[in-house]
Amino acid sequence: MKFNSVQIAIILIVTVFTACQKDAIEAPSAYNFERNGQSTVSFTGQTQRIAMAEELIAELKNPTKTIDALLQMYSNTTTAGEDANPFINEVLNQSNKSIKSKVAASKDFFSSNTTEAAVIKADFENWIKAQVTEVFPNRNELAAPGKAGQFADETTARYANAKGLEYNQAVNKGLIGALMVDQMLNNYLSTTVLDEGDNKILNDAGTVVDGKIYTTMEHKWDEAYGYLFGAASNIANPLKNLGEDNFLNKYLTRVNNDSDFSTIAQDIFDAFKLGRTAIVKGDYKLRDEQANIIRELVSQVIAVRAVYYLQQSKKALPINGSKNYGTAFHDLSEGYGFIYSLRFTRKPNSTAPYFTSIEVDELLKQLMQGNGFWEVNAATLDNISKKIAAKFSFTIAEAAE
Amino acid sequence: MRNNRSTNINFALLTVFAFAMMFWACKDPAKPQPTDSFDRTAMLTFWAEQQIIPALEQYGITLVELETAKNDFIQNKKITDFELLKTAYLNAYLAWQTVAMFNIGEAEAIGYRNYINTYPTDVALIETNIANETYNLELPSNFVAQGFPALDYLLFGLLKENEGYLQKLTQSQYLNYLSDLIDRLDVLNKTVLNDWQTNFKNTFINNNSSSATASTDKLINDYLFYYEKYFRAGKIAIPAGVFSGNTLSHTVEAPYSGIYSKQLCLKAFEAIQQFFDGVSFDGLTTGPSLKQYLQSVAAANNTEDVAQKIINQWQIAEESILELDNNFKQQVETDNPKMLAAYDEIQKAVVIMKVEMMQALNIQIDYVDADGD
Repeated sequence: MKFNSVQIAIILIVTVFTACQKDAIEAPSAYNFERNGQSTVSFTGQTQRIAMAEELIAELKNPTKTIDALLQMYSNTTTAGEDANPFINEVLNQSNKSIKSKVAASKDFFSSNTTEAAVIKADFENWIKAQVTEVFPNRNELAAPGKAGQFADETTARYANAKGLEYNQAVNKGLIGALMVDQMLNNYLSTTVLDEGDNKILNDAGTVVDGKIYTTMEHKWDEAYGYLFGAASNIANPLKNLGEDNFLNKYLTRVNNDSDFSTIAQDIFDAFKLGRTAIVKGDYKLRDEQANIIRELVSQVIAVRAVYYLQQSKKALPINGSKNYGTAFHDLSEGYGFIYSLRFTRKPNSTAPYFTSIEVDELLKQLMQGNGFWEVNAATLDNISKKIAAKFSFTIAEAAE
Repeated sequence: MRNNRSTNINFALLTVFAFAMMFWACKDPAKPQPTDSFDRTAMLTFWAEQQIIPALEQYGITLVELETAKNDFIQNKKITDFELLKTAYLNAYLAWQTVAMFNIGEAEAIGYRNYINTYPTDVALIETNIANETYNLELPSNFVAQGFPALDYLLFGLLKENEGYLQKLTQSQYLNYLSDLIDRLDVLNKTVLNDWQTNFKNTFINNNSSSATASTDKLINDYLFYYEKYFRAGKIAIPAGVFSGNTLSHTVEAPYSGIYSKQLCLKAFEAIQQFFDGVSFDGLTTGPSLKQYLQSVAAANNTEDVAQKIINQWQIAEESILELDNNFKQQVETDNPKMLAAYDEIQKAVVIMKVEMMQALNIQIDYVDADGD
């Protein structure tokens, strides 16, 4: 058979197009992935760490707890590094996992930056210690400028240090960044981790981990998912019952309830599903696109919440003579933790956070100057809010209500 | 043909004018500013002189009676005095329902309401305080161990049976606590009432502008917040499990005496309506009110009478409360759907007030629902 040049050209074009035309990858409606009829989704470690963190933040409000007892909950060992049983939930005591080992511990941000990681791990220890040494002994005193004690947030008594900061809030909201967000965005969704060693080859071949039903890459992705949905009662359809923990999941719910961000939970969930599907199909470009969507949106949750609390607190600042400053202090304490968490966010298509440690420290310093929350004014809070919002695609007004 | 010419000019002028009108009219067609010439000063004066201060005074009288009954009981430790004490408690608790909504001035400054009626009360904390014999009732952590809810426990909930009740209550550390709680109610009210009588009345009336910090805007916000959080949520929605999904019968108001919860609720509702309608505290006169204010705005702008809409809905809501058992705990435990039905009717008025009333009055809502963590 003889072809003229036109025919050859046509055949070539058709061939090229056919080769390029892949079946479009579609994600399932739920986070359900199976191999040989068995679910391949697993993230028990994440569920356990969320549970440990829940117990820790609850016990930070228990004035009978000692520094040692609380630090054991943080590290799941004694201070000498021996096995400890600090938790009520026996499963957590049996576990060799801990909160501390995964605080500021992502591959991308901290594997060659252990100096900063050590500082961050110590921040949490210092907050825990100060809760016992500064706040517990003054729990039956009324707080005043320069004096730790309690104040009323509506009908709830809150307990804070001499500057108005509730250390338990710093720990709670700080862990959202240092544990959940850092592990998710900068570790498990990172190509460094997903493609480590021969992960791609094994995943392409469908070779599962010894004794498991999943490939390493599938599992890594699921572990990222677990830091957001690890406490969900329905892990395949977690959006039906959002807010089942006191960490990232809860605040995703809060942001999603703001009509300016009403699709964010669905968008994050969809990206997780599609990315996981892409792994099953071996489409790593599609996978990484989804990772970038998740990075952008999860980072946004942290930033929106930080701005939200700063703006809310403006309604009741003591410097403006408000008598309901307890509500403002509580908002500022939560805001402090979310600002702290900004250093663990991740700009999509980059290796950088939205805010460096130095930038975060600068923002927190403004908040804590002098007598801290007792003195902070609306202009400072607006200034911090502006700096945060400027790096994202939302306005202060959108985040504020 | 002068006429004709003049008509032409007029026509041209008219056209220009019509276009100008169109532009002017189209400038912000979505948000017409309601005409509002209502005399806020007169309303604030009526509120202060005929409603708020008399209510605080009357509440103060019931507290003096409660003090007397308490002192008699402590002295005599007799069952007859105990009965009188319980009656005095109920009267004061009912009077409280008429002042609870006025969280402004010194009341707001000292967190008055939190100390007087935070419930459910914390029985374990009360018992710890009593056993320790040292406690600081000014601490926010002791909100849940004082006020009427704590009295309800001491007077009705110490023991399930009558036998031995007086022996337990008349132990000195119990009597001391009882006495401290009642003294504190009295002190708190004197602080608030004294401020109204000396300084705050004038401050309140003179702050007669319309801005976020003006008295009218603030008190209406307080009023709405009270209706939503303390009346709707506290008395009905929380025990009925509207927010939690599970009924929480122990969270009703006054669960230990039990039989008074409906009476307290109805008294609060009556006070809410009386304030709205502009009926003086003694019931003898009427004055400028939210109702009048809304009606004047409606008349001036030829818009719907929101006041009547609210009043009509309240009538339905009140009927649904009247359907309930005297004992709300009992009601929740035996037939919660009725409690939910009452909630629904109360809630329908929230929607009208929060949206239509506030829009008509051009007042911004200054509170957000607490975020609960």
